[in-house]
Order: sequence, then structure tokens, then C-alpha cells
Amino acid sequence: MPFHETEVLIIGAGVLGAATARELSRYKVDVTVVEKGVDVGWGITKANVGVVCQGRDTLEFRPEYHRTRLLWRALPLMEPLCRELEVPFKKVGAYMMVRDQVLKEKLDKLAKRTESLGLGSDKYYPFTELREREPYISPEIKGGLHDPEIAVVHPVYLTQALMENAVSNGVNLMLETEVTGIQAGHSEFTVQTDHGEIKARYVINAAGEWVDRIAAMVNADDFVLFPIKGYVGVLDRNCSQLAGSLLAVLPEEPGDMNIVVPTVEGNLLFGIQLQINRRHDRSTTEHMARLALANARKLIPEISEKDVINSFCGFLMFRNFEIGWHECEVAMSARVPRFVNMTIGYPGVSASPGAALEVVEIMQADGLKLEPDPKFNPHRKDIPDFSVLTEKERKALVRKDPRYGHVVCRCETVTEGEIVEAVRRGATTLDGVKFRVRPGTGRCQGGFCGPRVSRIIARELGIPETEVTKAGGGSPQVPLRTKQLLEEGGGDG
Amino acid sequence: MANKVDVAVIGAGPAGLAAAIAAREQGAEKVLIIERAEQLGGLLPQCIHNGFGLEYFERDMTGPEYEKAFVERAMGLGVETQLETMVIDLDGERGITAVSRKHGYMKFKPGAVVLAMGCRERSRGAVGIPGTRPAGVLTAGTCQRFVNIEGYMPGSRYVVLGSGDIGMIMARRLTLEGAKVEAVVEIMPWPGGLIRNEVQCLHDFGIPLLLEHTVSFVHGEKRVEGVSVCRVDAERRPIGGSERFIPCDCLLISAGLIPENELSRRAGVELDPVTGGPVVDESRQTSVPGVFAGGNVVQVHDLVDWVSREAELAGRSAAAFADKGRLKPAGGVKVVPGESIRYVVPHTISGREDVSLHMRVTRPGLKATVKVGGVASKRFRSVRPSEMIVIDLKGDALKEAGTGGELTVDCRMKEGD
Ligand SMILES: Cc1cc2nc3c(=O)[nH]c(=O)nc-3n(C[C@H](O)[C@H](O)[C@H](O)COP(=O)(O)OP(=O)(O)OC[C@H]3O[C@@H](n4cnc5c(N)ncnc54)[C@H](O)[C@@H]3O)c2cc1C
Ligand SMILES: Cc1cc2nc3c(=O)[nH]c(=O)nc-3n(C[C@H](O)[C@H](O)[C@H](O)COP(=O)(O)OP(=O)(O)OC[C@H]3O[C@@H](n4cnc5c(N)ncnc54)[C@H](O)[C@@H]3O)c2cc1C
Repeated sequence: MPFHETEVLIIGAGVLGAATARELSRYKVDVTVVEKGVDVGWGITKANVGVVCQGRDTLEFRPEYHRTRLLWRALPLMEPLCRELEVPFKKVGAYMMVRDQVLKEKLDKLAKRTESLGLGSDKYYPFTELREREPYISPEIKGGLHDPEIAVVHPVYLTQALMENAVSNGVNLMLETEVTGIQAGHSEFTVQTDHGEIKARYVINAAGEWVDRIAAMVNADDFVLFPIKGYVGVLDRNCSQLAGSLLAVLPEEPGDMNIVVPTVEGNLLFGIQLQINRRHDRSTTEHMARLALANARKLIPEISEKDVINSFCGFLMFRNFEIGWHECEVAMSARVPRFVNMTIGYPGVSASPGAALEVVEIMQADGLKLEPDPKFNPHRKDIPDFSVLTEKERKALVRKDPRYGHVVCRCETVTEGEIVEAVRRGATTLDGVKFRVRPGTGRCQGGFCGPRVSRIIARELGIPETEVTKAGGGSPQVPLRTKQLLEEGGGDG
Repeated sequence: MANKVDVAVIGAGPAGLAAAIAAREQGAEKVLIIERAEQLGGLLPQCIHNGFGLEYFERDMTGPEYEKAFVERAMGLGVETQLETMVIDLDGERGITAVSRKHGYMKFKPGAVVLAMGCRERSRGAVGIPGTRPAGVLTAGTCQRFVNIEGYMPGSRYVVLGSGDIGMIMARRLTLEGAKVEAVVEIMPWPGGLIRNEVQCLHDFGIPLLLEHTVSFVHGEKRVEGVSVCRVDAERRPIGGSERFIPCDCLLISAGLIPENELSRRAGVELDPVTGGPVVDESRQTSVPGVFAGGNVVQVHDLVDWVSREAELAGRSAAAFADKGRLKPAGGVKVVPGESIRYVVPHTISGREDVSLHMRVTRPGLKATVKVGGVASKRFRSVRPSEMIVIDLKGDALKEAGTGGELTVDCRMKEGD
């Protein structure tokens, strides 16, 4: 029994699904997004370092690669997009550095290639000059190439903003809805979910880590993927002076990704330590943590273990050697008409606006009628961020709504007003609030604000606090009332 | 601010309350405490166990009782308070910026400032435990707040990482609530908290204390399903093959406290990397003139009684400073931690007045002798890093001995715990 019908069904609300939904919301076409999680952007997109890369930082962005073309197409779009959606976008620039004079040749080659491709001209700085610009880099560094265009975004904020804007332009988003099976019919697909069937003429498979499994449900798995786990560490805000730009060393061995990246919020991230791993297991290991830290210290010796306030892992979907390890798959299945696969191992965030455009064109070429919707509004207003407002703005905001005068999270200066607004925009969990307005992401990691945020969520959603979860069903923060165990005779105290 | 504030106190824990009382008693007209929480008392309202006040009141009190005694005195003296108000900035000229729902956005410059922001707990990230990131991992103090103030239980089967006082106290509290505490796991060869807590909270309730162990992995997708616990070697690194799985639905972290000095940093106050708190002189003045500090923001105290005493000193000095510099310079002689001493507070003394030195040793030992230059020495049957040592020096003795600008504190001891 179909419980829903739609023209285009997008599976997965990661950055790629969300970008495509938003692109389609420009037109008068019925679009539905199903996402198995309780919130958007919590797949691979969440475990990300947020770099808007330029395709000139490694030799692996060959012009003949599909992903390189998608990226180059996306580059001029990203900043205006972030402006429309009020998503923080920060040009930090990058230094691609070498520790070995011999490797400098590779940098020269890189610089020449950038120029010959017409991507700009990157300047080389020897150590002494580099040190003036980035005073904390290791004395073992010989020099580095400066790419001024590299920027950072917060991938989850971008995904939320894309989705929020898409929804306000008519896209239907179904959270906590997992695709469990697909049948290809003559003119439409029947998609099974844990909430019933959905009929759709087009399916866009943007299921991230599970994109190949979803494709296999309908024999559209024209490609093979190897998920490789990547580890990222987060440093305390007090360390932000240690790097002003993205710092990276040219890989000395294949697969080496040794970078330190400032986030839009001013923390530093380091990684990416890679490891082959069972899919879905996003746990961090002591081994990865140790290697990543040791590598980061080769870039900036002052980084210390006690500055690491958090860490996480995500999966990079690798292809195979013949195609290129990092090649993407953004195409209509050769075997199943109207079924579009969409996955980019790296850099899916940077390339997302380009990939979304291309997917829309693929469907259009296939005969999907797309008439522009005159009511389309490209703008979305961000939740006010009290911590960065000027004194005058703060005063005005508090006067308008006193809840913005109530600071709930001390480390990140997050107010009750921001938390309430996050819930109003769809956050239903502690992580949902955390990934919108940041309470609990600072140095105390929610020690002070945890109980207070949970109380606000319960109040705003009208549910008991025992039902407030960290990240959806099965993850309550405080599942029991006091005395409950004693009454139930659970213990023997 | 209608009237000029003489002394502004940031934080209304035991330190802030004691500092405000002392400042009023010293003659400061308008004393204002600013507190971000909903009530006065800092951590005390959630510490419903006893063990407070033994030094200060010579009475065994609970946290709320101890707090009440101070709140009543403060109110009686006309100390003003602003609750649910967060100080978000302090500049190098004592300029305070604060916000609240009720009072909006405020900026003012008091005659003197007392920092009494207390401390925060080390989090999972700070401890760096590998594994998944499910619900059910929280610090012992947050758990204490949930259980004792909010009335919620974060789980029914617990492992506690770290044998700090809060962890041990919570192990007992949760057991009394009908929960099962599987183990308290401590990486060091000795417990991190007071002996009395080890005995009264763990031994008396049959809760195992695993010394030289750590939690090496957190398991569970949505909720914690268990943790791996293993032995550690002399470098505190996990020993391969010693791992074992303990099922539980909650992991509490009690792995130490860190003084809360973000505001101090903003004001340009010099911090001691060992204590994590401001460098202070005998009067508890920091490196920024007119900014004083007391309580856990300076050093993590083991007993609240010392917190109150230290903060009284800061409050008195602040009142004197606010009264047009009626404060004698109190620096001059540097106090240097020597053999087996981790730190000493204050960092400088005048060398003329009576003064108490607070210190901690680097390792446990028996038959210890603490020597303060040639001025004083004191013997102890045993010393432990978890217990603060206090040594009182007489001004006369200091003057007589002459310090030559520096005073080194050493501890000689026999191995043992
Ligand atoms: C450590 C790391 C660092 C990275 N750094 C960068 C970077 O700096 N810059 C950059 O551009 N890229 C970076 N990347 C790559 C980038 O993160 C990915 O390319 C991008 O996030 C992929 O987005 P996605 O939408 O395909 O996947 P996802 O974000 O995983 O989205 C897929 C969604 O589908 C949902 N889903 C899955 N199965 C089902 C189902 N059966 N039913 C319903 N929903 C389902 C999932 O829950 C998920 O929300 C990094 C990757 C990693 C791992
Ligand atoms: C769980 C626990 C159990 C303990 N058990 C015992 C015991 O059994 N016996 C004993 O003697 N001692 C015990 N102690 C120690 C004692 O409680 C502490 O030493 C004492 O609370 C420290 O006092 P304080 O005023 O320095 O800090 P706190 O009590 O932490 O107070 C600091 C206050 O400052 C406020 N604040 C911080 N920053 C700002 C800002 N920017 N703006 C406004 N306000 C701010 C905070 O909200 C807080 O209320 C225990 C401590 C803990 C944590």
C-alpha cells in the first residue's frame, strides 16, 4: 500500500541529497527526501573537516576525473550559496608544505599545473617567510605553497540550511524513514520504507555510506566502493592561535592526509588518519588517535594531548585503482533507467553544488519536465549567533527577546533564545541542538549545560525529560526518574 | 548600575559567598555577586552528602547546610546578588560585561573584582577514551546534578572512570538509588580522592576499586552497552591482552577538575600552568591590579573549608583595594616548589606577614617532612597528592630568617602509601 507518491525521491539527507533537493526546489516538481536518521547531515557529512578545497591541492585532481569537473563547477557557486543561506563561509587559505627539500620539486610541479590550468598562481614561501605567517609550524618544514582560495564551511550547517530552504520551498522531508527495499516498475519505482511504500518516478540514491547497498536493492550497483575510515581530532579553542590557515604536508606516502584545519568557529581540527575498517563502525581507536596526534605534532609541535577536546570518525568512500581511488559516481544507472546514483568520497561537500546541478540536468535530459517556480525564495535567515554579535546587536536582541540574555552554555556563549529557535527549526535531540547552535561543543563538553539544554528541549517539545534523547530513538540521556529503580526493585540497595 | 559597585564577585559558590561577606565586613559599601546559575551556592546545593565544615565550623555538615550558613550571613550583611547572569567578558581594567534575561546587557567597572568561578570537570574528550559516542557517557558532577537536583537517573548500571572524590561519592549515591556500580577504575596506583571517601563510599558498599586500570573502549551504538577495562603499565599505557568487557549502560567520568579561567585569560591574568589558576600573591591579587581570586578558580581544593578561607582573604584584599589602594603590596618573595612538591599557592609572599602556604605533593609517601626554606618545617605520617598540605608561617619568623627573595618548599619522604 503506497502511503506516499512523489515525482522525485531522494534517499539520504546528507550534503549531496540536501543540495539536490534544494536545487530541485527551484522548479514546480514534487520532491520527497527520506532520511533514516532523526536529523539531516548526520551521515558522513557530520564527520568532516569542512574544507572547501580548490582541486589544486593534490595531484589527484586530474582534469579528466569526473569529481574534478564537479568540483570546478561547484567552486564559483559555493560562496554565493553560503551567502544566500546565511551559512558561515571563511576563506582561510592553505599552505601545502614539505619537510623534505627533495619533495619541493613536487610543489613546483603543483604550482605549474595550477597555473597552466588557469586556476591562479600559488606562491612558494621558504621556511623563514612561512614562519612569519604561521609562527607555530615545525622547524622541520622546509617551505610551502600558498593557496589563498581555500575556505572552510561547517558541513552540517550547510546541509541543514540547504534542507531548511528546500522545505520552505515545498520539498517534503521525511525523517526517521529508512529505505528497506526498491522495485523498479515500468514507469515508476516502488520504494519500501519502515513506514510504508513510496511510489516515485525518479530515485536519487544519495545514501552515503550505504549508497552501494541501496543501489544493489534494484540492481543499479554499477560500481564498487571501499569505505575507508578517517579519524579527526578537535582541539580546544585556546589553541586557535596555533594555525591561521589550513596547514598540510604534501603526502609522503600514499594515503597520508596530514592536515590541521581551522573551523568556522575557531577550533582547530587535525587528521585525517585513515584505516580500513568494518563499515558502519564509526568508533575511534587509541591507535588512530595516537597516530593522528603524532602527525599533527609534526606540523605544529606545540599541539598537546591535553588540548584534544573531542574526536570522531567517518567513512571516505574509495573507488578502485583503475577508475582512480577518489573518483565519484554521479550518474544515472546504465542498467536501471531513472535511477541516479550520487556519491563522492572526497570532496563531497565542496563539490555538492556542482553535483546537484548535474543531477538535475541528468534528469532533465531524461525527460523530467522542470518549470521554474516563480515563488522560489533562495534566502534563508540564520539563527542569530549571540557569541559573535556586536554589543549594539546584542543589546537590541536581548531587548526584543530576553531569552537571548540567558546564557545556557558558558563555553560557547549560547543563549536560551538560540536553543529555542533551533528546536523550532526541527532539532528534536540534544545532538540536533548541539549541531545547530553549539551548546556542549566547548571545552566542558556539556558538563554544565547538558541538564539545562535537556530541560529546554523537553519544555519546547512538550515531552517528559526522560524522553529527550542524545541522537534519536534508543539514546535517552536520563531514562529514569530517581527512586524508580528502588520502586521497581531493580537493585538491592 | 545605579550606584558604583565597590567589589564585584564573579561566581556565587562557597568562594564567592565568603569573598563577598569578607569584603562587606572589611567595609566595602556595595558588594555584588554575579552568578550564572539559578541559585546561590555553586556546587554545594548538589553535594547533599556530609563532610563539609569540619575545619571551618568544626561541625560535620552537608553541602546545602554549609551553603545556607554563608548565604544567611551574606544576606544579613546586605550583599547584593544577580542570578542567571553570565559574565561574558572581563577586560584588563576591571571592566565587566554581563548578560541576563532579567537585566539585559550590562557593562560596568567596579572598584575591585574577585574571581570565584570555581572549576569544571575533565570531559570524555579531555580524557581521550576511544570507542563509539553513545548516550550514557557523562561526568560525575553532571550526573550528581541530574540525580540530586533534577531528579533523574542517567542509567542503572555504572562504571566510574577515575577515583576523584565526586566519582566515589556518586558511586555510593547511585548504589543507594538502587543502581549497580560495577567498578571504579583508576589509572594511577593510588586513589585520586580522599581516604575517607575511599572507605565510606567504596569499601563500605563493596564497590571494587581497580587501581592501575583504565577504560580502553566505549561500546554501544545508541546507549552505552559496556566498556573495555584494561591494566596499564608504568607509562599509563594499556597493556595488551589485559582487556576485559564490563557490561553497563553508563560511564561516569571523574578524572579531575580544571580551574575555570576563561575570563581570567580574557583579562590578561597570568596563569600557572601547573594549577591552571591565576598566579597570586599573599593577598590573592592576580597579575592584573584590582583583580583578586579565591577558591577552586585558583587551585582545586580538597575541602570546601579551605575554599572559604582563601576566598575571605581575596574578599578582604579586594575591599581594601577598592578603598583607594589601602592595600599593602604583598609580593616580593617568590615561593618555589622544590623536591616532590607539585605547586605552592600563593606564588609570592611579602615575607613580613603571617601567611598560610597551600601545596600538593607529586606522589604519595610515608614519614614526610615538608621544609619551607629555613623558616619552617612540618612532619606528616603520610602524604598523598589528593590531600592538600597547609603550612602556616609566622611573619616574625619570616623576617628573622630573611628569605633573600626566594623561598623553596621541599618534601622528603619514604616510599609507600
Ligand atoms: C574524515 C572526513 C573528512 C572529510 N573532509 C572533507 C572536506 O574537508 N571537504 C569536502 O568537501 N569533503 C570532505 N569529506 C568528504 C565528504 O564528507 C563526503 O563526500 C560527503 O559528506 C558525502 O555526503 P553524502 O550526502 O553522500 O553522504 P552522507 O552525509 O552520509 O548522507 C547520506 C545520508 O543517507 C542516509 N541513509 C543511508 N541509508 C539510508 C536508508 N536506507 N534510508 C534512508 N536514508 C538513508 C544516511 O543516514 C545519511 O544521512 C570528508 C570525509 C571524511 C570521512
Ligand atoms: C561533586 C563535588 C563533591 C564535593 N564534595 C566535597 C566534600 O564532601 N567535602 C568538602 O569539603 N568539599 C567537597 N567538594 C569541594 C567543594 O564543593 C568545592 O571545593 C567548592 O564548591 C568550590 O567552591 P568555589 O566557590 O570555588 O566553586 P564553585 O562551587 O564551583 O562555584 C563557582 C560558581 O561560579 C559560577 N560562575 C562561573 N563562571 C561564571 C561566569 N562567567 N559568570 C557568572 N557566574 C559564573 C558558577 O556557576 C558557580 O556557581 C566537592 C566538590 C564537588 C564538585
